[in-house]
Amino acid sequence: MTEALPKSATASREAEELATRPKIVGASVKRTEDPRLLTGKGAYVDDRKVPGMLHVAFRRSDHSHALIKAIDCGAARDADGVVAVFTAEDMREVNAVFATSRMKNYYATPITGLAIGKVRYVGEPVVGVIAQSRYLAEDALELVDITYEPLPVVIDPEEAAKPSSALLHEEANTNVLCSREFKTGDAEAAIASAAVRVSGRFRFHRKTPTAMENRTYLAEYEPGRDELTLYTSSQVPGIIRDALSDAFDMPGSQLRVVAPDVGGGFGGKASLYPEEIFVAFAARRLGRAVKWTSDRMEDLAATSQGFDQIVNAELALDAEGNAIALRAEVIGDVGAYSIYPWTAVIEPVQVVSFLPGPYKIANYLGRVRGIATSKPPTGPYRGVGRPTSTFVTERLMDMAAQRLGMDPITLRLRNMIQPDEFPHRIGSGIIWDQCAFTECLNAACGKADYQELRARQAEARAAGRWFGIGVACYAELTGIGSRISVAPGMPINTGTETAKIAIDSTGAVTAAFGVTAMGQGLETTLAQVVAEHLGGRVEDIRVIQGDSAAVPNATGSYASRSAVLAGGAATLAAQEVKEKIIRAASHLLEAASEDLVVEDGKVSVVGTDRTLTFRQLARAVYLEMGRIPADKREELTSTKTYDPVFGTSATAAHLAVVEINPDTYEIKLERFVVAEDCGRLINPMIVDGQVHGGVAQGIGAALYEEVVYNDEGQNVTASLVDYVIPTATEVPLIDVVHIEAESVTTLNGFRGMGEGGTIGAPAAVANAVADAVAPLGIDILELPISPERLFRLIESSKNHKDSSHGHET
Amino acid sequence: MKPPPFDYLAADCVEAAVQALAGAGGDGKLIAGGQSLMPMLNFRLLRPSILIDINRIPDLAYIRDDGNEICIGPLARHRMLETSDVIARQFPVLHEAMGYVAHLAIRNRGTIGGSLSHADPAAELPMMSLLLDACLVVQSLSGRRTITARDFFLGALTTALEEGDMLVEVRLPKLPKGTGWAFEEVARRSGDFALASVAVIIGSDGDRISDLRIGMMGIGETPMRALDAERILTGQRYSEATVTAAVEAIRAAVEPNTDLHASAEYRRHLVGVLAQQALARAWARLREATQ
Ligand SMILES: Cc1cc2nc3c(=O)[nH]c(=O)nc-3n(C[C@H](O)[C@H](O)[C@H](O)COP(=O)(O)OP(=O)(O)OC[C@H]3O[C@@H](n4cnc5c(N)ncnc54)[C@H](O)[C@@H]3O)c2cc1C
Repeated sequence: MTEALPKSATASREAEELATRPKIVGASVKRTEDPRLLTGKGAYVDDRKVPGMLHVAFRRSDHSHALIKAIDCGAARDADGVVAVFTAEDMREVNAVFATSRMKNYYATPITGLAIGKVRYVGEPVVGVIAQSRYLAEDALELVDITYEPLPVVIDPEEAAKPSSALLHEEANTNVLCSREFKTGDAEAAIASAAVRVSGRFRFHRKTPTAMENRTYLAEYEPGRDELTLYTSSQVPGIIRDALSDAFDMPGSQLRVVAPDVGGGFGGKASLYPEEIFVAFAARRLGRAVKWTSDRMEDLAATSQGFDQIVNAELALDAEGNAIALRAEVIGDVGAYSIYPWTAVIEPVQVVSFLPGPYKIANYLGRVRGIATSKPPTGPYRGVGRPTSTFVTERLMDMAAQRLGMDPITLRLRNMIQPDEFPHRIGSGIIWDQCAFTECLNAACGKADYQELRARQAEARAAGRWFGIGVACYAELTGIGSRISVAPGMPINTGTETAKIAIDSTGAVTAAFGVTAMGQGLETTLAQVVAEHLGGRVEDIRVIQGDSAAVPNATGSYASRSAVLAGGAATLAAQEVKEKIIRAASHLLEAASEDLVVEDGKVSVVGTDRTLTFRQLARAVYLEMGRIPADKREELTSTKTYDPVFGTSATAAHLAVVEINPDTYEIKLERFVVAEDCGRLINPMIVDGQVHGGVAQGIGAALYEEVVYNDEGQNVTASLVDYVIPTATEVPLIDVVHIEAESVTTLNGFRGMGEGGTIGAPAAVANAVADAVAPLGIDILELPISPERLFRLIESSKNHKDSSHGHET
Repeated sequence: MKPPPFDYLAADCVEAAVQALAGAGGDGKLIAGGQSLMPMLNFRLLRPSILIDINRIPDLAYIRDDGNEICIGPLARHRMLETSDVIARQFPVLHEAMGYVAHLAIRNRGTIGGSLSHADPAAELPMMSLLLDACLVVQSLSGRRTITARDFFLGALTTALEEGDMLVEVRLPKLPKGTGWAFEEVARRSGDFALASVAVIIGSDGDRISDLRIGMMGIGETPMRALDAERILTGQRYSEATVTAAVEAIRAAVEPNTDLHASAEYRRHLVGVLAQQALARAWARLREATQ
């Protein structure tokens, strides 16, 4: 494209772009929600208090797998302050909700408010006690008497897949809730004849999202109108509204689902929960407002968990280091239920789908099974499957580099899809539109001064220190449109978003969306997009989101979609409102449309002092009848839906530097660099924040966080003392480089970037740790890698080498 | 996670507190900083009939120089010990250890009385009281008595305190000038309970080791002194060989637990590494001070 233009023309165009650029979109505007959120003036669900409000406490299963033989609620009903005690028996008229899918070999489990007949994980709600206070409800819980008949615990997914295993859902006839295969070329044959093969059994343990705000639900009911409003700390109020409409056979006009300020989600608030169904049911049954606020114990027991995959994978290369085949078998331990609407296999299917990553690998065979176990359901977790696929592929790349005696960066650059090779279809069928693979990797290495790091490593090794450098490269699909969103065959549409923008009679601008911020600054970024295309001021634009009543159809925020989809819809609607402003102003100011500019909340005639503020204009349109002829008067509103149809990708390269204490095996992250491409930046400061947060979570996944279920199916990491998350002291400074290769497939060139940090970091950290201990002949195949695990790996490799050798002193 | 019902009394003097404690017949609990007690109540692991709040009793939060001893009131907060000049001067090892106790917010509330009475096997203050030969003054309806730190810690979360007892003072005998010291700890994250920790104070008699005390925690049901290792080193010149022998004695003596965060083997490995580092550092500090 640039070739057609003479050099000077290109240069002057760049200069022009620079001069006109970051005024609104592209500027690091301070987050407009922060004064509210940071001074304790946010309004979360638990902050909402209504007269006569009742409180729920759940009696949860203490069995991993058992039949419910009898429930005696008599004493609890008589307890102080108790208004009602409900079991599944009381909820018979509520329809079960199913995460259906057109996938073959898939079984959708029923989702209900309380367990029916059987419990399938420790922490599953069985009885709901409703009382005047949470204290009294918890006191009464102890009086509920449940008789269980224990069934075999189903903990190991590989055992659970065997026909001999006890079944969690008898009707499914198997614990394998889904199995799929992805195939391109002939991987088996290519592997058999390859010069170099590296393989491993990779294990990424179970994780939980741990949002700062626990899940909280408050249902308010108006008996006179049979109207139910659910305030929920959810990422997906639109999806919840539609699901409740099915569960209660209620029209959407009588059901409103509102997510007010939400304190983090990370995927854990992106699904429908039994407690949401229960609270809505109880409010309607009792005709009173009913609130449930999860405590941390319940959050760790019953919020959807993430990861938990075993991946047996093998990568084959020729003698020059060209990857020729990848074969993988993914086993996903998906827990007891198929979560709504994403299904149980959202994580493991994404793992096989993304394993080929940024590389040209002609032959691919990926098999996946999602296996039910008696643990809480897994669901989407920031990065969804890709932290695991990236961990596996990027470890294999490093293992191959080591085997070939090549530098891991050189090997990656050789195998990456090059800038002129897009669009490229990888072996699982995913098509990369235009990804900045080599650009990101080169930028990350440049920023970190990779050669210098290798020199430091040589010095450190000579001095007996364990110093490691690890990189990880990946791409993800973001901002997906309707064509990709239908692929999994789910009963929802994740491929479109709607924006409704209105200037009212006071001149105020309100922009309403179906997306939901849970801390990521959407109020600011969407206001920036609206301001840019409308000619308004960021601070004047009131963004409404997280309300199912705002637009006719919406889902929420997940899958790195909101900037692309809601940003696209905002653009279209703002452009239309601006056209209406210009038409009205052209009348009022008696000027040709071409001579009008809309900027900073004013419309002016170029080169004159004739100006109307939005307020003056709105009064003229709506109130001062006669100033615009009746047939020319238009409401200053627009509702637009944006569908990117296919969507786009986003890319990054992560580079981690670690030093391990060779005596204590403590792992210290010294440096972290991310070079990322999320297309055109709306707000670089917010993008940096998202990367930092994502990387922190990835560091947690790599080094600290693991949900552990013992053989009895009890969660032994049931508090934040034992479920260890990184804090500010465990996260190094993170450098972020922006590549900003605008997407050609989305409006404005935006790409989604909310999840990426979590995708690359675990693999980069794993590679850095593996690099640090490489001289000991140790591979890292299991995450998180704790000092304890490292100790055991080192001990067993020592014992391997010298069986008579005891403890090192 | 709400506590079961309980009665509440804000005691205004020690006498009232021990009176109420006796009145509850073993069913009462004192509450100081609440940093250990509140979680146990909220998990419903404890069901006291009455909580006796000692926070409003005046004059219990002090650090006083009594000539031969430093006396500390039971309500002295962790943060007060951490920032006290008296402590930093007299017991730099304690000053250093306080920085490892939990996080700032918890240190602002948590008390020395609560920490010692709670007796977590991986808590710094119980180990420090053992290392520094503390005397713990206890009061009940039948009067005051003193228990040495050595006799105080009986097991994990178990002490020599009896039903009606309140810990009312901690006395730390001063150390000779120029005592060498070191504190070493490994935890999963900064502020977490230790996986293993070793603290050392050391003196010298000419070029020989004397007045050596080695404290350890995280490697058993209570904090411990490494008596075998102390014996091996005391009276010897400092050398790599004697230190190695002492470290081996420590590893042989400890019987750590395996839990989620560390296996017994890893803890045994760690305690040896930390002992070696602590001895080296303490000896170096001693040499520096006596040169
Ligand atoms: C997240 C977290 C991390 C922590 N990490 C650490 C750590 O790394 N290291 C560490 O040492 N501690 C740690 N703690 C514990 C903290 O130091 C506590 O403050 C301390 O253990 C108890 O002190 P308290 O004053 O809060 O006691 P409380 O919780 O009020 O009481 C604890 C127990 O002592 C009894 N008690 C209190 N005062 C007296 C008294 N005067 N006489 C007799 N009995 C009494 C109470 O009845 C109760 O049984 C941590 C706590 C938390 C919540």
